[in-house]
Amino acid sequence: MSLDFSPLLHSWRFLLGGLGLTLGLAALTVLCSLMLGGAIGLARCYGPTWVRVLLVFYIDSMRSVPVLVVLVWTYFALPIVTGAVLPPFWAGLIALTAQTAAYVAEIVRAGIESVRPGQARAALALGMSRVQAVRQVILPQAIVRMLPAFGSILSIAIKDTAIASVIAVPEYLDRSQTLAGQSFRPIEVYLTAMVVYFIILFPVTRTVDIAYVRLAHLGRS
Amino acid sequence: MNLHWSVVWDNAGALARGTELTVLLTVATMALAVPGGILLALMRLSGSRPFAWFSASLTELFRNLPLLLVIYASYYVLPLALGVAFSPFVTALVALGLNVSAYNGETFRAGIASIRKGQSEAALALGMSGWQAMRVVVLPQAARRVLPVLASTWVSLFKDTSLVSVISVGELAYTAMLIRSRTFRVLEVLTAMAVIYWFLGYPQAKLADWLNRRFGVSE
Amino acid sequence: MNMRDDETDAPKVLTYLDVRKIFGSFVALAGVSMEVHKTEVVCLIGPSGSGKSTLLRCTNGLESIDGGEIILDGHTLPRDGRGMRAVRQRMGMVFQNFELFPHMTALANVASGPLTVLRLPRREAEERAAALLEKVGLADKAKSYPANLSGGQQQRVAIARALAMQPEVMLFDEPTSALDPETIGEVLNVMKALAEEGMTMLVVTHEMNFARRVANHVVVFERGTIIEQGPPTQIFDAPLVVRTREFLSHLGWAG
Repeated sequence: MSLDFSPLLHSWRFLLGGLGLTLGLAALTVLCSLMLGGAIGLARCYGPTWVRVLLVFYIDSMRSVPVLVVLVWTYFALPIVTGAVLPPFWAGLIALTAQTAAYVAEIVRAGIESVRPGQARAALALGMSRVQAVRQVILPQAIVRMLPAFGSILSIAIKDTAIASVIAVPEYLDRSQTLAGQSFRPIEVYLTAMVVYFIILFPVTRTVDIAYVRLAHLGRS
Repeated sequence: MNLHWSVVWDNAGALARGTELTVLLTVATMALAVPGGILLALMRLSGSRPFAWFSASLTELFRNLPLLLVIYASYYVLPLALGVAFSPFVTALVALGLNVSAYNGETFRAGIASIRKGQSEAALALGMSGWQAMRVVVLPQAARRVLPVLASTWVSLFKDTSLVSVISVGELAYTAMLIRSRTFRVLEVLTAMAVIYWFLGYPQAKLADWLNRRFGVSE
Repeated sequence: MNMRDDETDAPKVLTYLDVRKIFGSFVALAGVSMEVHKTEVVCLIGPSGSGKSTLLRCTNGLESIDGGEIILDGHTLPRDGRGMRAVRQRMGMVFQNFELFPHMTALANVASGPLTVLRLPRREAEERAAALLEKVGLADKAKSYPANLSGGQQQRVAIARALAMQPEVMLFDEPTSALDPETIGEVLNVMKALAEEGMTMLVVTHEMNFARRVANHVVVFERGTIIEQGPPTQIFDAPLVVRTREFLSHLGWAG
């Protein structure tokens, strides 16, 4: 079995474009889901009961349904409901954000709940309002504990962008598939893809591991 | 909008069979990946450098690759590399099995390592061999710690089986997409697919949550 | 070889010859030599980090030694802790943190050695275990799990567990240091009874009253060496070495 990487060398610009889209989509997903998920997480902890019930239902539903299903539904079914056309990239962004925000919300909840209840009581006893207690005492402590978990969100987002290939978002995996089909050299193409993804993801997961170790002591009261 | 929900009932049989295959795939993968994970964990914790390195490398590899890529790679590379043609189901099993084994390996390793050193010392002090200490004292305790994490992994696996639809394994996602392209009833079929996954996934996620509350170790 | 002034006629069980142990750059044992005779109770005392626990753990091979020899009944023990399995069956160890197996009842804990290591039939192992639990005063707790036992009760079960292997020597690593004051007494009583029955015991402890009353021989450690050893009357009433005196007064020992 001889390996011929020339199609890859030939089409490196094509693949690089795909890689750019992978990273771009991942970054945007992380950004949007941090904002959305942060808001959902806070509302889930401190909002009125009916809001909390709704949000818990949303979070649990997103945890129960595969990413593929959300992507496919968003791209094919949502336009039918809204009547608006949705290009693949934006469908992908909406679907991935909706999913990832649920995880972010759970991280936020876990972070807030990990702060000792005595802290909130002490803050209120000092005369702070609820908002001040949350902003100045609870959140700073909670955020430190959330940081390693947020890191893994980036890793998950990058991996999930690959699933967006299913709705023809031209990210790296989709482009790899195209190239494999055209060049009839799937082994070389997919081996290269594995190397590329590994090189991108390894530093991220490594950093998260280190962050967990370094910040573990802060997680203990 | 002109909706015909009857298309779901008309194809209920096919959807049911797809669901069956989803469940079968999940169960079969876990059946392989639990012993696989234990093996990898013991290799990682053994004194032997080559075993430990191999196990650690395998785990790192699968942590840093998208599962969909692993599935495609298995589909195209395995037959060419091994010279044997595998059915899509077997290919899917291999890809999922390797992936989940790597994650389980890390889970079991962390679970075993979380048992206080003093426990194995007390076992050794009684005259037990290293393997006896592992079997009688460490593993039974680690099993309790590991259970909630395994449950979460199970739920993720259940969802990830949808990915093998891309290599034409006839599980739920593939079946639903097929029905959609045959009937053109996009919204109804895709919504039905989502709802079926929700009905199956939601209780599993809640069970995993309960296990985490009951058996989880808080830091 | 006479290392001690208070020689007894009893045969030597354990002999330590110039034992050394290093952890990285920290010297835990800097050449320790001593003897333990049959039926003796030897107490090791001294400040934390002085090497007492390390010596105990080297004795049953939980730590390897980097120099010198440990001799059990005339046979030199292997340095690296391998092949120590048979040796460990002849020694019992009691840990500061009890280290009972939380997933087993008290009875199962005590029976675990005979069952797994000696491969006794279950009934015989459990009978032996029940008898030992009776001996330490916990027959009624046989079916309890360690989580439902007090510290003192757990430690007594741990002692029974070690005794179930019918060891020649019992090693105690600060057995009462993790106990509430109320429960220390019940454990020391069990140890005292054991001593009176003639068990050879090597005890690392901070309980000076116990050492004064029960020990036949006391060894004082500091920074990995033995600074003084002798009968309790010498160590506690008229120590020969200034550092010993300082250590004891630091503990509030009024003599």
